[in-house]
Amino acid sequence: MATRSRRLRLRREQAGDRREAITGYLFIAPALALFALLGVYTVAYGLRLSFVEWNGFSPTRIFVGLDNFKDLLWADAALSESVRAAVGRTLVVMVAAVIPTVLISLPLAIALNSVGRLRGFLQTLYFLPYVTTGIAVFYAWRFILLPDGGLNSILTTIGLGSLAQAEGFLGNPDTALWATTAVLVWSTVPIGVLLYLSGLQSIDGSLLEAARLDGASPLRIATTILWPLLRPITALLVALVLRAVLQEFQVFLLMTNGGPLDKTTTVSLLTYNLAFGNNAAYGYAAALGWLLFAFSLALAAAAFFVLRRKG
Amino acid sequence: MSAVAETRIDDAERRRWRPWRGIGGLLLIVYGLISVYPFLWMVSGAFKDEREVLSSGSLIPQNPTLDTLSETWSKLDFGAYALNSVTVTGVSLLMILAIYPLAGYAFSVLRFPGRLPFYYMFVAIFFVPGVTTLLPLILVQSELGLLGSHLGLELAFANGAAPLGIMIFKTFYDTIPRELRESARMDGCSELGIHFRIYLPLAKPAVATVAVMCFVSVWNEYIVTGVSLSDPSRYTLPLGLQQLLSDNVVQWNQVMAGSLLVVLPVIVVFIVLRRFFISGIQGAVKG
Repeated sequence: MATRSRRLRLRREQAGDRREAITGYLFIAPALALFALLGVYTVAYGLRLSFVEWNGFSPTRIFVGLDNFKDLLWADAALSESVRAAVGRTLVVMVAAVIPTVLISLPLAIALNSVGRLRGFLQTLYFLPYVTTGIAVFYAWRFILLPDGGLNSILTTIGLGSLAQAEGFLGNPDTALWATTAVLVWSTVPIGVLLYLSGLQSIDGSLLEAARLDGASPLRIATTILWPLLRPITALLVALVLRAVLQEFQVFLLMTNGGPLDKTTTVSLLTYNLAFGNNAAYGYAAALGWLLFAFSLALAAAAFFVLRRKG
Repeated sequence: MSAVAETRIDDAERRRWRPWRGIGGLLLIVYGLISVYPFLWMVSGAFKDEREVLSSGSLIPQNPTLDTLSETWSKLDFGAYALNSVTVTGVSLLMILAIYPLAGYAFSVLRFPGRLPFYYMFVAIFFVPGVTTLLPLILVQSELGLLGSHLGLELAFANGAAPLGIMIFKTFYDTIPRELRESARMDGCSELGIHFRIYLPLAKPAVATVAVMCFVSVWNEYIVTGVSLSDPSRYTLPLGLQQLLSDNVVQWNQVMAGSLLVVLPVIVVFIVLRRFFISGIQGAVKG
């Protein structure tokens, strides 16, 4: 009698489990269907494309095996040279974007954390660049960086006219990459401020109070207490900025379109141009996209590893 | 006695900290200006005529004019493009809010084989560079006959929102006590009913967060929209803005006015719903 009722309950529980599993699959089905079509199928299509030679117009696609990858990396002299240059530039932008983002957003967050009444207002100001990132602000920066633009006029006014650029900061091949990177930093600083701010709020206040009573200066508190405690956040921020540099190319497309003299063509912009530029080479574009994907994954794995260890 | 000593320490303290406060305040003001600098130029350019916009380095227009805004409004076909932008953004948001709360519920509450692998698969989309899937996406859309249509864009944006949408809803549902679901089940409520009558109404902040973040990114979207739309009557605002700059002689006052018209809705939405936006980014980043 007792065993029968237990068996019955067990069976009912199993039926319940099965029903719950079916419900689970039904609930994720719409997301899964969309992902199967636009995620899995598309990515598989891209992989297939990376093994063919095709300009997008001709009816035939020639299977070339790994030739696209070989051409990109070494076999085709001109192409591999432009890939190498783009990789070099991407690495430069990574370093040149990460360091200022950290160095600006941490002090800004510390200062903002000690503000009382105006905090909400200031946070709104600092956050505008992040929410508005896109064509409109990039065009505004383009305008500011023109030969007759706001930056040159500020430099002349404050007596630094020698730094002003006659061709504009985007027109001069020596300054274009730095100018676009600066705009990139402008749009990533808000994430840094937000992350550091939430990190600062989780730090025990009495620790800082003790340091303050011991006569430590704010700079010392920042470097010897806050910096080590915030290291996991710094690691996360660095990972996010590196990901942005690798994947986002709007800033380069819309401000310089890779010019002048290809000085601002990063790997993702090169991939875009191979697909949608003048001489479309879909196979190369797909293959380079996959190399970029592999690199992003490696970076994400490294970031995950670092965060795990320190966090 | 000790109180006097303390005040003295406090005074010394305050004096020692004063320069640092000054530096902090200066930093806050200067960076605040840098943050809004391009927006100041948008406003400034939008009230200048085409000659003054290039000749004067001053932010304050000498002869403020409203002509630029009205010219840009008609030249940009702002009404039509804005309607397209609203359609694409609205339909994408509806799709996102129809699909991902349910998925988040499944990943948070329900137990089924493959739950974690599926979850990580969706989160991993975050690491796939957009440019890697851009070309195949366009080709797949053209195979399906969706290329150049708003629906093609909306489906792509809905799919792109998967990591964010699923993560935010799952994280939020994780915080809802299990007892609620248990007692609802005792009362004979179905999972669908539990989700729509109990979980979703509690998750209003999560809905707002996802809606705001997706609104901002879809509204500003330029890359996918740019390569897939070819019929100007379907253009969204960012593409209209891009047309302004591809004129032979660029009228920067109109470009600035157009930029202002494009970012203004985003700024308004952000200011009104800032709370949800900030918690959304914190949630997405920590999730």
